[in-house]
Amino acid sequence: MIPFDFEYYRPSSTSEAVQIFMELDAAGKNPRYYGGGTELISMARMNSLSFGAVIDIKAIPECNVLEIDNGHLMLGTTLTLTRLHESNLFPLLAQAGSRVADHTIQSKITLGGNLCGSIIYKEALLPLLLTDTEALIAGPSGMKTRQVNAIFNQSVQLEPAEFIVQLHMAEKYLALPYIHVKKTKQDKINYPLVTICALKNGQEIRVAFSGVSDFPFRCSNMEAALNERSRPIDSRVARALEVMPVRVLNNLEGSADFRRFILTNLLTSVVGSLEADAI
Amino acid sequence: MSDSYIGKDVIRKEAWDKVSGRAKYNSDYSSPNLLHGVLVCSNCAHGYIKRLDYSQAVNMPGVKKILTGADYSILCGSIIQDRPPLAVGKVRYYGEPVALVIAASEAEASAAAVRVVVEYEKLPTVNSPAEAIQAGAPLVHDYLGDYKHVIPEVYPTPGTNIVHQVKIRKGDMQQGWADSVCVIEGSYLLPQADHIAMETRNARAEVLPDGQIIIHSSSQAPFGIRKQISEHFGVELGKVVVHVPLVGGAYGGKAAVQLEFLAVMASMATGGQPVMISNTREQDIMASPGKIGLEARIKLGADAKGILKAGEYTFLLGTGAYADTGPRMGNSIAMNCTGPYKIDNVWCDTYCLYTNHTYVTSFRGFGHSSLTFAVERSMDKLAAAMNMDPLELRRRNLITPGQTSPSQVMMTPSILGNVPACLDKVAKLINWDKGARIRLDNQRIKAKGLACFWKTSNSPTDAFAAAIISFNSDASINLNVGAVKIGPSTKTTLAQILAEIMQVDINKIHVEMEVNTRTSPHHWKTVASMTTFMVGRAVEEAAYDAIHQILSLAAIVLQCAPGDLHMSPGRVYYKDDPGLYVDLADIVHGYKYPNGHTIGSQIIGRGTYVMSRLSPMNKETGQGKTGPYWTPGAQAVEIELNLADYSYKILRAATVLDAGKVLNPASARGLVMGAMGMGLGLGSREYYIYDQEQTLQNSSLRTYKVLRIGEQPEYLVDWIETPHEASAFGERGLAEHGILGIHAALANALSEAAGVELDQLPVLPELIWQKRKEQQL
Repeated sequence: MIPFDFEYYRPSSTSEAVQIFMELDAAGKNPRYYGGGTELISMARMNSLSFGAVIDIKAIPECNVLEIDNGHLMLGTTLTLTRLHESNLFPLLAQAGSRVADHTIQSKITLGGNLCGSIIYKEALLPLLLTDTEALIAGPSGMKTRQVNAIFNQSVQLEPAEFIVQLHMAEKYLALPYIHVKKTKQDKINYPLVTICALKNGQEIRVAFSGVSDFPFRCSNMEAALNERSRPIDSRVARALEVMPVRVLNNLEGSADFRRFILTNLLTSVVGSLEADAI
Repeated sequence: MSDSYIGKDVIRKEAWDKVSGRAKYNSDYSSPNLLHGVLVCSNCAHGYIKRLDYSQAVNMPGVKKILTGADYSILCGSIIQDRPPLAVGKVRYYGEPVALVIAASEAEASAAAVRVVVEYEKLPTVNSPAEAIQAGAPLVHDYLGDYKHVIPEVYPTPGTNIVHQVKIRKGDMQQGWADSVCVIEGSYLLPQADHIAMETRNARAEVLPDGQIIIHSSSQAPFGIRKQISEHFGVELGKVVVHVPLVGGAYGGKAAVQLEFLAVMASMATGGQPVMISNTREQDIMASPGKIGLEARIKLGADAKGILKAGEYTFLLGTGAYADTGPRMGNSIAMNCTGPYKIDNVWCDTYCLYTNHTYVTSFRGFGHSSLTFAVERSMDKLAAAMNMDPLELRRRNLITPGQTSPSQVMMTPSILGNVPACLDKVAKLINWDKGARIRLDNQRIKAKGLACFWKTSNSPTDAFAAAIISFNSDASINLNVGAVKIGPSTKTTLAQILAEIMQVDINKIHVEMEVNTRTSPHHWKTVASMTTFMVGRAVEEAAYDAIHQILSLAAIVLQCAPGDLHMSPGRVYYKDDPGLYVDLADIVHGYKYPNGHTIGSQIIGRGTYVMSRLSPMNKETGQGKTGPYWTPGAQAVEIELNLADYSYKILRAATVLDAGKVLNPASARGLVMGAMGMGLGLGSREYYIYDQEQTLQNSSLRTYKVLRIGEQPEYLVDWIETPHEASAFGERGLAEHGILGIHAALANALSEAAGVELDQLPVLPELIWQKRKEQQL
């Protein structure tokens, strides 16, 4: 049971949402944008999060867009992971989302919620990092567009009143060869020890990681090492791990050493499969 | 009646209510005047309560009262009284209840509970049973010597963390080691875990103006609640009434009395108003009792043929911060310490130890599942050391009638059952002869593991059951027993026994599902897989009592001797001429002659049963008999291990147990499969994770993982039927047993596949990786 009362708002436009947010914020209500609610509800229940108001953005038409327009896939951020999976317009994203939590929860969790919540794994972010995705953001100064890679860089870099309305990526990426692998401590449904999403763009392999560190990432130095085809795969993977810019996570799911072991094996098999066109 | 009800798949009586969602559980009740209690739990594992300030909380809307340990000086416990319902002075585990907020609604109580401020002065913690037993370890209980003993057979050592110890001394150890050519040793580690019953624990209480205390609880022990509440609150036994409706899973966790104390305290503090306390999942995991932890060392010696000659066992049982039934589980482990094997020379020391972890209570298997893991891993180590097939080693050593148990009970076919037959049948089920280890390709290995088990009960020697049957005027029967309906279809099985003996249609037997301590006949507790045995015997006796009354009355009506008559469905007839009969409906409420004269009235049958010839264990040698019979069995697991990341799949899991007589095969199969699933969960993922300060890290189902649909293996279940002569139709209890050896079989299979000794639970891929790394594999 949530041990505090809060107000609920359901705006029908982005500007209305931002305005409500600013008013509530000024009134000291500590408002939160609300998508599927899975995280806000479960954290509030445990009293590890509190808020005076939520602004449900699911009634905003732009947040529910799911279409290919003018060479770009446009994804509203209140689409659920289930909806993304069922539409399958971006198979890599569909697959990454279908391994977050369980089926019941996937039909509540929104794309935006997975990206902007406080759970550190954000597995739906990985396909976006690989595809030069742009985010359409609503905020106090109206709408603007920013690169996803710039927003999700070691932390979520959005102003408090801002929220992501849509994500846009070039259609050319959607059909590229890809691999998604997720390894957990034991259970199929759990946070990742290591999740890897990889794309093959021409001869170039792109790779993004979740579970390896406390924030998902993609690293150009690691990709450079992995794409150095003149060297054997094992040594490329070893080199990529040497230049990996993060501290490996050590938590309930597994130790840093075990994660390195899993990561090494997974990366070797991912690169090998993509190069062999074995997918 | 041509068809027998024994050995038939009979759908449980409450099935339709359950599958349609209409069945009512205890916390489904609501009422406008019902108050709600919400617990404030400690976030410190061991420390003095320096400050407990509820001044802000008590002024919150709807709050009626806030209770702390200072309000009631009660120490409770079913074996040794060591636990205050709310912490007094200090806390001993993370999650321990320190205050109880009572408010008009659960929401208001929850909102106030987070405003209760508690500050602690941290004390050094006792982190494991091994740490607990060390000289100079911090003491979890400073005044252990002062606690009241509920039973005489509990032996604490004041000034230490040892709350109980048990010894087994059998045979001559020196001779045993001298006769051994091969000796192996192993150490095993089983962390604590949780029951995770679907229905979390909950209770409500109301104190009536005349002083009666009415309790509704989700419990396995309504009569235990009545006794403890009566004692601690000084209320006459008969003035305490406990109601238990359907229970949504228990697994031993609802045999402990905890929330009932708090609900009664809360009602007393609010002028007798009804108060409900219902655990959240998180509180159910961290605040209410869980499963024991166990650290075991086993040393086995065998002669050149692999025959066991000596066994030395040390068990450190972690009972957490309070004893509850921990000491009794220590007895259970010691009493059956060898597993179902014949060993003439046995030395066992079992210590039950306090730690700063969640306290424990009974858990499916009552210590035997932890014991069996250690024993069966040891058997595989011995087989490897002797270069023998693990199946063959077990075959050569299984206990058979004419031999004695560690506590020196002489085995007979009725008492023991047939263990070798179970092992042979399970080996066939799992195709043991097709190879225990098969390399599939350069990454994957398929492997199998075996385990044997046995279990008997460890009840008070005067534990008894009773049954009352009463006839309705249409000759249908009401069956009333004191056993709780916790899931295993027991009440339907009892109806089968009654239908069979009375020769009535089972649809004409109406079983009372709720227990009411004022109207239901007494039953010790619904635990230990003993309910069908104990209550079954009482039902049998009640049936014969009713038959005797019916035949006596019918004999008058039909002008013959009772012995000339025979019961058949719906009527009693004259054996020599079945055309001469009287309908049951015409006599079960008395027989009325045409002139209006009536003889007899309602037929009410009564039956009771107390287990015979039981004795507690001797303090120095362990000698004694604590249960009437054993249920033995054998299990096997087949896995596929991936060497690339040490992930594995559980492909098949098999159990063959000696059921004596399977009364209801479908429900028995379901019970054994469910127990295997639970055991495989413990084997592969379920455990309490504590950090360095002994804070429980996984008190939600997000992080405390249980086996899901899709992760279940193919289950194989079969039976051996060696009757237990003293049971109704020869049955043996089987509700717990599927759990007992299954994680041992899993660890044996994984050890075989990975080439390393996996001697702790759960077996996670990281553990396999760690062990292989240590061995530089």
